[in-house]
Formats: sequence, C-alpha cells, structure tokens
Amino acid sequence: MRALRNHGLALFFGLIFLASLVGQAFTGQDDFNHLQVAHHEDPISIGRYVTSSDYWVDVLENWQSEYLQFTLFIITTVWLVQKGSPESKELNKIGRESDEEQKVGRHATERSPKWARVGGLRTRIYSNSLLIVMAAIWIASWLGQSVTGRIAYNAEQFDHHEAAVGWTRYLTTSDFWNRTLQNWQSEFLAVGSMAVLAIYLRQRGSPESKPVGSPHDSTGVEG
Amino acid sequence: MAVLGLVVATAGCGRTDDENTARTVTDDFLAAVDSGDGEQACTQLSPDTRAELEKQEQRPCREAVTDLGLEGGSVARVQVYALSAMVELSSGEAAFLDQGEQGWRLSAIGCEPVGGKPADRPYDCELES
Repeated sequence: MRALRNHGLALFFGLIFLASLVGQAFTGQDDFNHLQVAHHEDPISIGRYVTSSDYWVDVLENWQSEYLQFTLFIITTVWLVQKGSPESKELNKIGRESDEEQKVGRHATERSPKWARVGGLRTRIYSNSLLIVMAAIWIASWLGQSVTGRIAYNAEQFDHHEAAVGWTRYLTTSDFWNRTLQNWQSEFLAVGSMAVLAIYLRQRGSPESKPVGSPHDSTGVEG
Repeated sequence: MAVLGLVVATAGCGRTDDENTARTVTDDFLAAVDSGDGEQACTQLSPDTRAELEKQEQRPCREAVTDLGLEGGSVARVQVYALSAMVELSSGEAAFLDQGEQGWRLSAIGCEPVGGKPADRPYDCELES
C-alpha cells in the first residue's frame, strides 16, 4: 500500500493512458469500419486495425506533440521566465545557473546521482539527460507519424485512384502538416495558458499552483 | 522507443504477400480477358466494379468485360498500402485493387494519368467502382 501511495501519480497516469489507448482502438476501429461500409468496402477486425497505419498515425501524431511540448517547456524555462507564475523559476535565476546551485561536481552531495558527482562528459550528459530523452522520444514519434501517415495517405490515394507519394514528398503535403500543427497549436495554448492562469488562480494542495495565499507577483513558488 | 520501432516494422508487415496476390489477381484478369474467358475475368473484379460494368453496358459482366478495349501488357510494378493496391502495367495503364473479405479484387482497370503530377489527380479509368 505504501508503494502504491508513493508511486500514485505514475500508476494513475499509466493506467488511464492504457485505458485511453484501448478505448481509442475500439472507437477508431468503429470509425474506420463506418467509412469502409460507406465506401462499399468490408469492415476489418480489431486485431487488423491496431496493427494498421490508420491507428498508429492517430496515436503518434498526439505522442509527438506531447513530447515536443515538454521538450520545449524544459529548454525554454532555462532562459525564459514568467513573473508571478509557479511554472517559472525566480526572475534572477535566468540561465543554466552555477554548479553550486545545481549541486554538480565538487558541489555534489553524498546523495547526488553518481553522474552528477563525477564531472566531465558524464556530468554534461546527465545535466541535459531529461531534455535529451524527451527530445529523442519527440523526434522518434514524429518520424513514426510520418511513416505511418504516409501509408494511410497513400491507401487513400489509391482508393481515389491517384498515385502514391514518396516519403520526402509526403513531408511536404498538407496532410502531414495539418496532422502536426493541429496538435502543436493545442499543446502550445495549454502550456502558455497554464503559465499565465497560474499567476492569478490557485489550487490548494497542488504543486502546480502557488499556495492559495501567495501574492500574484511571487514567482517560482510551488504549493 | 521499442514500441515505435515495432510500429514502423509492423507497418510493412505482410506487404510482400499482398503484393504477390495483387499481381496474381491482375495477371489472372488480363490472361482471362486475353483468352476471351469473361466468366473468369469477372471473378477478379470487386462486386461493385462488376455491378458498375453491368450497369454501364446493360449486359452481363462476362460478356461486357472482354469488350472493354484494355491495352493489357504485363505487370511492371505493384504497390500496396494498407487495404489498397496499385498495379502498373508495361502498356502504361494501371489498375487499382482493394482488399476485402474475398481477398484482393480489382476496383478500377484501364487507368491512365490525366496530366500533371499523377499524385494530384485521379487516373482516368475505363472501368471503376
């Protein structure tokens, strides 16, 4: 029970992620088969649908935008601040900060991760490891979106008795950019509005909010 | 990352089998038309395509299909994406196929590009559903 409590956040989001992915599979199959019947074509099984490009392009276009959002948020909050927002660090801490503040090298403590203590290349890599991994997942998801998106696009081209396009040509199509930008805009809106709304609004007990009684102009304070 | 690798790998899964089947269906259709076997040729058409031909020509598929004036030729290239395929012939014509419960069947035959980039405009087909 203690382990469940200590890892509640990861477990909760992991579970609702899986439930949503399964829900998307069944509703996506239903939607796909509705179109198949409308085009006088045969419906497909759930097994066939979850291994299809139609399913995965819809999954990956959302993954890439979420990981881009966090990648950008991680890197921009090093140099950009927002007065009064708990999403921002303090206004006088712009930049990568000193080794002392970041507890690396000789400023590391006994309980610091090993790669933060050893110095050199390993500490440089570890100092950017969150950004590196999040950006890698973003790029891989976006690449996956382009590969599966092209397959789904070309299947539709053939349905309309048009020729297929190659991968580089697909990257210039409105289909690819419409899928990409419709996800990006919503992520950027959500992050921007969260940073601003959290200046004036509060959620008691949440670390995403300032303490309820904190003044609007206090920055970098979490509840 | 492993999931993403699997996704990309799965995207191409079974494509060779599908390409071979689409090629065979087209070959069988062209051979049947060549030998005047309309009955056999019609079994390679999708139900909608057969119905469209009978509606256009006002006679049974087996009689109409051999009079379509197709250029024929051999299969030069097969491309499969999901449940759809395109077969290009040595004559320059193309055919399109769909995969359904009966397997791969022809949905359009005697198709030619109509100018411009072929990915931007539908082919002009002798017969399509």
